[in-house]
Amino acid sequence: MPTRDPKVLVNEVSVTFESHGRSVVALERISLQAQAGEFLCIVGPSGSGKSTLLRVLAGLLRQSAGEVRIQADHPGTPLTAMVFQEHALLPWRTVRDNVTFGLENRGVGRSEREARAREMLAMVGLARFAQHYPHQLSGGMKQRVGIARALANDPEVLLMDEPLAALDAQTRTIMQEELLRIWASLGKTVVYVTHSLEEALLLGDRVVLLTARPGRVSEIYPVDLGRPRGLEVRASPAYGALLEKIWSRLREEVVRAIADDRGSDSEKLGA
Amino acid sequence: MTALGRWFAERWITVASPAALLLGWEWASATGVLRAVFFPRPSTILAHLRDLALDGTLWGHTAPTLARIGWSFSLAAVLGVTIGLAMGLWRRLREGLDPVFAVIYPIPSVLFLPLVSFMVPAGEIALVVTSAVTSFFLIAFTTTHGVRQIDRLVVEAATHYGARGWRLFATVLLPGALPFIFTGLRLGLGFSLIVVVAVEIVSASRGLGALLWLSWQVLKVEDMYATFFVIALLGALSSYGLAALRARLLPWVPDVGDR
Amino acid sequence: MGVVVPAAVLVLWELCSRLALISPRYFPAPTTIGWVLVDRFVAGDLGSDLVVTLTRLAFAFAIAAVPAIPLGLLMGIARPVRDLVEPYLAFIFPVPKITLLPFLLIILGVGEPAFVLTGGSSAFFQIVISTLAGVQTMDPRLLDVGHNYGAHGLRLFWKVILPAALPAIFTGLRLGLGLALVTLVAVEFIAAKSGLGHLVFRHWQMLSTPEMYAAFALVGALGLVLTRGLRALQARVLTWQEDIGV
Repeated sequence: MPTRDPKVLVNEVSVTFESHGRSVVALERISLQAQAGEFLCIVGPSGSGKSTLLRVLAGLLRQSAGEVRIQADHPGTPLTAMVFQEHALLPWRTVRDNVTFGLENRGVGRSEREARAREMLAMVGLARFAQHYPHQLSGGMKQRVGIARALANDPEVLLMDEPLAALDAQTRTIMQEELLRIWASLGKTVVYVTHSLEEALLLGDRVVLLTARPGRVSEIYPVDLGRPRGLEVRASPAYGALLEKIWSRLREEVVRAIADDRGSDSEKLGA
Repeated sequence: MTALGRWFAERWITVASPAALLLGWEWASATGVLRAVFFPRPSTILAHLRDLALDGTLWGHTAPTLARIGWSFSLAAVLGVTIGLAMGLWRRLREGLDPVFAVIYPIPSVLFLPLVSFMVPAGEIALVVTSAVTSFFLIAFTTTHGVRQIDRLVVEAATHYGARGWRLFATVLLPGALPFIFTGLRLGLGFSLIVVVAVEIVSASRGLGALLWLSWQVLKVEDMYATFFVIALLGALSSYGLAALRARLLPWVPDVGDR
Repeated sequence: MGVVVPAAVLVLWELCSRLALISPRYFPAPTTIGWVLVDRFVAGDLGSDLVVTLTRLAFAFAIAAVPAIPLGLLMGIARPVRDLVEPYLAFIFPVPKITLLPFLLIILGVGEPAFVLTGGSSAFFQIVISTLAGVQTMDPRLLDVGHNYGAHGLRLFWKVILPAALPAIFTGLRLGLGLALVTLVAVEFIAAKSGLGHLVFRHWQMLSTPEMYAAFALVGALGLVLTRGLRALQARVLTWQEDIGV
């Protein structure tokens, strides 16, 4: 095991929300790491705080306790860039101007911005749609623009918050292939949140399983399915075994999360 | 069939109905079925309109009305958008001003004329300021709403990608609110027209509203109809003209029904 | 915060007026206005003008709503009807309804019918347009559901189309009432010899400013009560609607 500083270090991070006078603990003493160039997937039931963790990494949310460290190997580039679940594109900007948004804000010059945008749009296969507006694109295309925007920013770490969740199953499969291809060629460190265990095993080098609320690290599983990886890995027995093993743990947590919901429901109805 | 031909074929009723109405009116008025003193023949009205236009009376009254609309709308727009944006961005301001606005907004603008005439020298300035009041509130309301309805996720994403402070305002908040601001401006212009005409009826000697009222007082019915027609034309221009402009200025907004 | 600002304004006004920093003639102190308000109410004349305005409003609203809703619904369902009526709507809609007043005054003479009809005209167009929008923007899948589950023709109308359009109709009624009030008070200001709008005008001419402001405040209060009240009513009656909006 190479002894280098991890690219991403999360140490005993906790996040507590105040809501209607009550405290809700979303994350409890999370500790994990990601090495440079690693594809780390985070799975867990609803309410486990997966997105919250990602937002802490992105600097959109301040943790209540613990520390987060991201290794900055390339000064001048942003630490993180996030691909949001509902694409979150600026509807009044063209595809190209959406992609260069982050660069604009950092004062990158026009010609370089345009070159970068061209490159990224080509990489996600949307070169022809540079001048279109978001409302003219399908869900899958919008999500690809979101990915291009994140990549254009050339971050140290790429964060992805269930980016494929809002897509239909067929588009999602295609996009998973695309992601594998793009990641293989760029070699970025990725922290990827998903609901889908199948997806996590397909894409990731390691899978972090979080518990139901309050979210804690239940276990971290290495995914030894070889690289480069393609969709056909889903047919392999190793994949099936891993899926089986992790799902039984995940299932417990999902059931627990549903029971929690039901519990709070009967609270409300005074049952 | 050409595109225009197809358009006509689908909507022939829309064109034929008013045409039939006008013809029917002409006939009914000429034959006395409709009393000409209440409903003069459209052809006579047209003739009066032409006369008014030719001898300069029409322009003599249209110009002041247009000027007042221009001034009051500009006043309402500048103040309305500025304060609307401020209210959209700062919650305290919004909470403080909301009740004041809510009470003042439903009051008919003409009623402000006495108040305004106390504060400001009587005459043109009073007319313009009074006409600006309701438009101002309307524009401020819609602008505030425009800012507040921006998808929080989009704002978050923009902040994440480095847009802060002034940049956030210029690249996200303002464009995001723009469709609503535009609708507010369009409605505000319509209101400016309405109030200018009303105020002219009350206390002006020149202007389309004044002309309408004057014509009524001396029972020149044809002139009344002619003036009404000009006012309606202005109304249509401001309402539908701006709507057409919207498609040009805001290309990113998908087509929504414009009422 | 919502109470602080108006209260502060009133206090400031009171002080400036009493100290003659602003002319007490033109800007009487709020307490003076308040006294006059109560006084006139007790004496009965403010109350009677209020009743006059309310009565006109009720008639104007009824005259507008009763034909407007069916017309809007019909236009929404039957394309030929819509094509027939739309040009007139489009033409009249942007016109200031107050300009209809002189015409009505000639045809109907100077009196209540002309006032009420003018006031009702602005409500009429608003209600037709809102009702039409309600039918046009309803989720078309609901129609499919209706057909599939055996609702056709009249039953489809009563059980699916009408309820689906109801929120928009209600909003149209609410907006229409507000518009009717505004137009009506303006008509009273210009041409009537009674009613709140006329009171403001008369006291303006006589420069009896406390009475003028009192009438003014009453108009504002009336508008506020009506719009807020209707909005609350709408939320009550249409409990399934998520967000009333404006």
